[in-house]
Amino acid sequence: MSEFLEFRDVSKRFGTIQAVDSVSLGIKKGEFFSLLGPSGCGKTTMLRLAAGFEHPDAGRVILDGQDITDLPPNKRKVNTIFQSYALFPHLTVWENIAFGLRVAKRTKRDIETEVEAMLRLIRMGDQAHKKPDQLSGGQKQRVAIARALINKPQLLLLDEPLAALDLKLRQRMLIELDMIHDQVGITFLYVTHDQGEAMSLSDRIAVMDSGRIEQVGSPAEIYETPRTSFVAAFIGDTNFLEGEVTGLVESEYCQVKIADIPGLICFNDKSMKPGNPVYLSIRPEKIHISRDRPEESPLRNIVPAVVEDMIYLGSTTKYWVRTHGLRVQVLRQHFRFFLDEKPIRWNDDVWIWWHGDDGFMLDRYRAVDEHLVALPPRKVGEPEDNNEKS
Amino acid sequence: MRRSRFPFFVTMAVLFFFYLPIIILIVNSFNASRFESGWQGFSLMWYKRLFHEPEIWRAAKNSLLIAASATAVSLVIGTTAAIALHRFARSRLQRFHFGLVYTPLVVPEILMGISLLMLFVTAGVELGLFTIFLAHVTFCISFVAMTVLARLQDFDESIVEAAQDLGAGWWATTRRVLLPMLMPGLIAGGLLAFTLSIDDFVITFFVAGPGSTTLPIRVYSMIKYGSPPLINALSTLLLVLTFTAVAASQRLSRSRR
Amino acid sequence: MRRESRQKIRETLVSFPSLFWLSLFFIVPTLFVFAIALKPANPYGGIGSGWTWDNLRSLVNPNYLAVAWRTLWISVFSAAVCLVLATPIGYYLARVTARWKGFFLMLIIVPFWTNFLIRIFAWKVLLHPEGAIKKVLALSGLIGPQTSLLYNAGAVVLVTVYTFLPFTILPIYAAAEKFDFQLLEAARDLGARRLQAFVRIFLPGIRRGLITAVLFVFIPALGSYVIPDIVGGPSGEMIGNKIAQRVFVDRNLPQASALSVVLILSVLAPLVTVLVLQRKREKPESLL
Repeated sequence: MSEFLEFRDVSKRFGTIQAVDSVSLGIKKGEFFSLLGPSGCGKTTMLRLAAGFEHPDAGRVILDGQDITDLPPNKRKVNTIFQSYALFPHLTVWENIAFGLRVAKRTKRDIETEVEAMLRLIRMGDQAHKKPDQLSGGQKQRVAIARALINKPQLLLLDEPLAALDLKLRQRMLIELDMIHDQVGITFLYVTHDQGEAMSLSDRIAVMDSGRIEQVGSPAEIYETPRTSFVAAFIGDTNFLEGEVTGLVESEYCQVKIADIPGLICFNDKSMKPGNPVYLSIRPEKIHISRDRPEESPLRNIVPAVVEDMIYLGSTTKYWVRTHGLRVQVLRQHFRFFLDEKPIRWNDDVWIWWHGDDGFMLDRYRAVDEHLVALPPRKVGEPEDNNEKS
Repeated sequence: MRRSRFPFFVTMAVLFFFYLPIIILIVNSFNASRFESGWQGFSLMWYKRLFHEPEIWRAAKNSLLIAASATAVSLVIGTTAAIALHRFARSRLQRFHFGLVYTPLVVPEILMGISLLMLFVTAGVELGLFTIFLAHVTFCISFVAMTVLARLQDFDESIVEAAQDLGAGWWATTRRVLLPMLMPGLIAGGLLAFTLSIDDFVITFFVAGPGSTTLPIRVYSMIKYGSPPLINALSTLLLVLTFTAVAASQRLSRSRR
Repeated sequence: MRRESRQKIRETLVSFPSLFWLSLFFIVPTLFVFAIALKPANPYGGIGSGWTWDNLRSLVNPNYLAVAWRTLWISVFSAAVCLVLATPIGYYLARVTARWKGFFLMLIIVPFWTNFLIRIFAWKVLLHPEGAIKKVLALSGLIGPQTSLLYNAGAVVLVTVYTFLPFTILPIYAAAEKFDFQLLEAARDLGARRLQAFVRIFLPGIRRGLITAVLFVFIPALGSYVIPDIVGGPSGEMIGNKIAQRVFVDRNLPQASALSVVLILSVLAPLVTVLVLQRKREKPESLL
């Protein structure tokens, strides 16, 4: 299937910083596509390359089959929602929205009808004559959206549009953005560092780090099957376990030895052979914990452990347990208020277990990504132990 | 925590120090006495005398002419300078350019006066209104550029990008977004240039020729050789004029907002 | 590539007017001053031909040295007085509520809308032997009836402070406005007395404002001409007066240029010192 917006081997350097490092990426027509990553990962530069504010050092940018690499921003059928909204302070809401049509020298009547339509879409007809500094954050946001959409762009670029809003408003605008995307049916390229926004809005997500794309996929794919330690740790929380394949079980599974625990079952979608080193990522909520030993089952890994630390989080409790010299995070959902069993406490002996399908093999592991993993609260006087492997 | 009252007292004392001479001057302008020795009754005679001094009015006309033309020219050159300094901030040329625009602000006036005099004498340019105009443009450029630059640095870079993004080319961006947003800076810069030009004595004195007396030069020779009460009256008149002008411009800029 | 060269052309075009004007009317004239300082004078008030060291050599004469020394101490002393007065005012302005702040700033700026000459003249009237201050002081017995308030170096310092004080208040106020006053509370909390907190925390905190303020008085004071000319008399003369005398009285332009060269160099000295000091100080900070 052909791509609507395409980055072909694009690179951009600012001084000594390689902001975008030979990235190739395709976005489909009508898609809500997010670029997700920490600040400085190059996601905003990607967006600015698409808008035309930056020119790549190498590579091409293709929109709808046309090479737009050398087109200036005002010649591109692409519009942007800026992080600061960038509303013109000297123009009213109405004039801000009409700006694109005015510079395109459209007739007065055209402008009037289209601006009115846009004001209806964002439900701000009664605020048309206010200046931007008289608007609330959410209203500014909506004007910025209307102003960008009135040009009927083929592609809408959104640069962290919700970052400046408070939590409640952010949730409302999230729903509103989703609705607008459904209504206008154009392609959205959305840049954010907030995994929640990216997960809830996007058809597909590209996770970026240090100018490169780590993984592209649907929100569920990204979360459930992270390919690299960065993706696993940046989105949600996880445990990294280093081990070695010791044997194959049927064709789909293999046995892995982690620390000195032999025979842990793991889904083998990477065709690993005995002797291969592997890194597993297991989400904390995929690991169960209890005082009693669970029943044996063919694909269930059961390990004894000791509770080292715990935090009550309301709907869940997070435990840090130690087993065979490893530290493992476990997230437990509270199902009942009164538990039949005695509650789990510090230093209790417990059992943890997980399904063989829930330990996921990583293609690439970097030790630095351990820093993204949540550590237990440090006790007073305890030395910092960043390098400790879980 | 109880605050010290010392800073408050210093502020009050200094404000008194600032206003004392000016108030005495205004009061004296209505004094019937020819010398500053005691109050001899209220009189407007010095104001009447002022109207029979054609030289003052000729000087005022010269001053206005020079201020208006120097403001216009320095506004254009200063604004282009500010735009260059802002847009290409990182280039080596602009670092030199900034130094060149900034230095005239810190150099004592007498140095600018004498160096321009040397230039005009060497180049054989006849001293007069034209050389005063050239000198005034020179020092006004720096003040205009700095005022406009401050305004430029204040606004959100993405506003200009937003205009381009919405389809505006270079000219449309400049006309529809940049200039309207710069307007307060341009007005402030223009007013500053105008007042500086009207007020300047030192530089003007060095590059003025016969017949090109400006108001400050006239005031200077009156201070040196003329009658004090007449200057009191003229000063008070000028004070009233500046106050009205400043108040009016303030009101204007407020209603704009 | 084509993009970059187009940028370069645009930059050159926009920079050209000011670069051209300031080169022609600022750089070139300054170079002329240096050149003419090495030229002989001709008897008709013009510039002779050939080159000579005589103008510079004639600067080493006790009369000029005394004037140079006086120029230096008047400038230093005026700057010091301005700093001592402006610091508490800047502190006060930064602490009062927004409405009072605007009001006081206005009060400080308004007197300076009047013409520079008129302000000096107002002081001449005040300090005049028949003036109000003299009478008050003489009546209270603080000064003898023969003491003159006008036409001495003291009068020059007074009027210099009056003229440049607002220019020192504003940068100090601007720096104080950015200062975090909780730091003072923290210092008091840790046991510092009020003055200690002020000297050890506040003053270093507004260092940049203080430096700017000093330069704003010191440099123009070095080049003062009108103030000593009107209120200074012969015992209050400064370099600026000497330059003007050479130009307007004896029409000796090379000699005036030589004096100007001295003034240019003495203005550059504090500027360069400050720049170098700031750069030195900033390096270790930026490494952190």
